[in-house]
Amino acid sequence: MEKMKLKILYSDLKADIDIIEKELEKALNSSSHLINDASLHLLQAGGKRIRPVFVLISAKFGQYNIENIKNIAVPLELIHMASLVHDDVIDDSDLRRGRHTVKSQWNNRVAMYTGDFIFARALEYVTSIENKKVHQILAKTMVEICNGEVIQIEDKFRNNQNLKDYFRRIKRKTALLIESSCELGAVVSGVDEKNVRHLKQFGYFVGMSYQIVDDILDFTSTDKELGKPAGSDLLQGNITLPILLLKDHPTIKHFIAQASKGQVTEQQRLEMLNVVRNSDAIKQSIAISNGYLRKALKEVDALPDHPMKKKLRDVALFIGKRKF
Amino acid sequence: MDATYIQGSIEQLKTNIFMHVRHRTLLQYTGAPVINENQLFYLLLPFLNGEEWNEHIDKSAITVGIVHASLYEHDKINETNATSKEQQLTVLSGDYYSGRYYEILAHLGNITLIRELSEGIVNRCEHQIKVYESNQNSLEQWFNTISVIQTELIRRFYLVFNFEQYSSLMHTGLLLLQLKKEVRNLQNGHNSSIMKKMIESVSNEEKTLEQLLVEKIDMLQDLLHEYLHSSTLNDELKRYIRHQVECS
Repeated sequence: MEKMKLKILYSDLKADIDIIEKELEKALNSSSHLINDASLHLLQAGGKRIRPVFVLISAKFGQYNIENIKNIAVPLELIHMASLVHDDVIDDSDLRRGRHTVKSQWNNRVAMYTGDFIFARALEYVTSIENKKVHQILAKTMVEICNGEVIQIEDKFRNNQNLKDYFRRIKRKTALLIESSCELGAVVSGVDEKNVRHLKQFGYFVGMSYQIVDDILDFTSTDKELGKPAGSDLLQGNITLPILLLKDHPTIKHFIAQASKGQVTEQQRLEMLNVVRNSDAIKQSIAISNGYLRKALKEVDALPDHPMKKKLRDVALFIGKRKF
Repeated sequence: MDATYIQGSIEQLKTNIFMHVRHRTLLQYTGAPVINENQLFYLLLPFLNGEEWNEHIDKSAITVGIVHASLYEHDKINETNATSKEQQLTVLSGDYYSGRYYEILAHLGNITLIRELSEGIVNRCEHQIKVYESNQNSLEQWFNTISVIQTELIRRFYLVFNFEQYSSLMHTGLLLLQLKKEVRNLQNGHNSSIMKKMIESVSNEEKTLEQLLVEKIDMLQDLLHEYLHSSTLNDELKRYIRHQVECS
């Protein structure tokens, strides 16, 4: 359903998104049939392709040429895909988007090599761009995403964390790659510095909102909609915004303690979900997400008149209004 | 130049690699990056033999060492269970090292080396994953796989900086050293995944895998001596390489 809405939203970019999709297929082609199978498995799982879309839209503010722009749109999606393959090993996840993960379909080692292969393909692809700045931005992003993941593991089941810790974490985990997608799309198409900054900031704010919404959906969606048990984030020890706003609630405190020992029953999971869903934490989290969206829209206002400004607004609003 | 100088240069490169990937949390849980000194020696071989070597090449050599360390971290991941904090952070240390090598080369502006190393990693991954494929490979194909895993990234480094004249020696030397290590492991009953696959591929042969490996090692040793005999390497390096093989 969501993908359908996105397709409508992206309809005027469809031809270029199709080019990106074909390039992704090409980039993942390997002489190893196992890597091919694993990559095909990933491609078939789909994804919203949000990062390439942000690259394309941002690039429209400059000298748009899909033959150049694809050289950054494709690697950004590949980096995202590779990090998901490795994340599934870290999180011991058997399902993603309702499909078996590479690590569960094969094993952890196959997932590691497949992820490394995809990361390398991304860098191989991006070297068709000679602009040093592009590589510096992308490299810094990759390192920072990794730092974010290290922090996430350090913060697991940590009771004494605050909102600042959470925002710092999601910035690196999600917002950075979306921010870089907007920035790099703009840089590659030669947008002037001032507007690169607006697009970059837009990406950052949208990315923050996107992750907050994802964290809310982990509690408010059904298991079927998520393709995994609702509340999985907390089961794995990730203290997200709704939980931070509820961390003194006795049921939640007890749940975190039990989850840290791996001793959560199905009944306790359902009770925890009930507490979160019926609390103000969801509303407050939505309000915080909306705050980021408003900031994102202000950045759009600051851009020069362009038909793509409406598109940026629409995508931002779509992200903020995903079904709770 | 003597063996102490060579060893000192290797140690210095190792220290530089550590410095460039230093990360408090990763160091605490996953330890220092694992670096194969034999690979470092061959990375430095052109420098040790007096080839023109500047800061840019030196930094680039560091990144090749970092890529090796990155990929080695992922070899440490357990096939079925990586849920411990140490294993989770090992996944990330590999990714972190990978980001760092890219970051260093991006700052140097060496896009060519980024491309070559990326292609090299692709090739290496395609070989590393072969142990999980159902295809039956011949013994020679497995030797080639071991060789690619050991040498591919150094070969790419040589290619970028026009040190290709050292490639044949490096291929022979590193394959020889790795096979000697595998034979030792085989004798001690510690079979790597690749050795298990090699045992399968020689199951119909009259000779055992160990015998076949020893034959290959003898052949590589002869080849190495031929290279050394006809090469323009300085005498101390030739002595070092012979000693390296004898002691392994």
